[in-house]
Amino acid sequence: MSGAWLAFAALTGMVLYSGYKVVTSPLITHAALYLATALVGVAGFFLMLESEFLAVVQVLVYVGAVMTVIIFAIMLSDVPALQGDPQATLVSRLLSRRFGSVPALVSAGVLALVLIGYGSVRWAAAPLGGAPEAVHPLLHDTTAQGSTGVIGRALFTTYLVPFEVASLLLLAAMVGAIVLTRRERGAAEKAAAGKAGAGAAAAAPAVEGAAEERGGAQFWP
Amino acid sequence: MAVIPVQAFLIVAAALFALGLFGALRRTNAIMVLMGIELMLNAVNLNLVAFARYLQGALVGGQVFAVFVITVAAAEAAIGLAIVLLLARRRRTIEVPEIHDLKG
Repeated sequence: MSGAWLAFAALTGMVLYSGYKVVTSPLITHAALYLATALVGVAGFFLMLESEFLAVVQVLVYVGAVMTVIIFAIMLSDVPALQGDPQATLVSRLLSRRFGSVPALVSAGVLALVLIGYGSVRWAAAPLGGAPEAVHPLLHDTTAQGSTGVIGRALFTTYLVPFEVASLLLLAAMVGAIVLTRRERGAAEKAAAGKAGAGAAAAAPAVEGAAEERGGAQFWP
Repeated sequence: MAVIPVQAFLIVAAALFALGLFGALRRTNAIMVLMGIELMLNAVNLNLVAFARYLQGALVGGQVFAVFVITVAAAEAAIGLAIVLLLARRRRTIEVPEIHDLKG
């Protein structure tokens, strides 16, 4: 067993075990940290496939930004049932949650279908990890070192329009996220008035005014 | 360096995709559903990069498409988690089965 296969096996174990823990851990913060591990493993796969740029982007964007946003969302949306039930066993968790055993059957079916499809394809004997001279000629361009230069050049020539559309999408997503999470002016006063009007409102968590007021005190003190 | 066939990467990506699909279908927590979707997107990215390396003429296309997938995934996470925060603030729940109606 050579070094490449050892690295492949280690990354496979890391990614699949972390992915399994993401979907099965009862504590949502644990799931988030396992998701970060799985994403780092995928970055390792990108390195094995000689796309250094994507590996770095994966770590920066996914592990750096998306995971931070997810953990912020977990911490900010502090609702009672968020932590899950740590006492549940795996089998009961598999069967008692939403749709019973349907998710397991569906995902196993998709996996089996894909693997059967892979088995029925006649694969050409293209090298992976060998024969560097057979790599795309752009990779041997002296002015474009590695995959970074190649991707940069392609982004600003062939894929210029999708690149601009992607930047517009990011702008729209940023504006949308700000607008969605912005607190309306006067909401806190309205909630305070509602609470003062009905003294029992604070006792019932389902009442909108009480929820708003509590949320306001929690999120933006 | 040993030659690792492309099928090995594809099988890992298929298993990761199945795990993400399972999580997105089974978990009731909205954040967990989003995490399952992120796993699926990563499996797709792994497939894209593996094929880009396998079909060497399409090297640039596969990697650039993976860059776009990462971009869209980041936008999706931002908007999805903003909606989750809004749900947590207004409904006091982010359990998907308890969210029936759109307005409110």
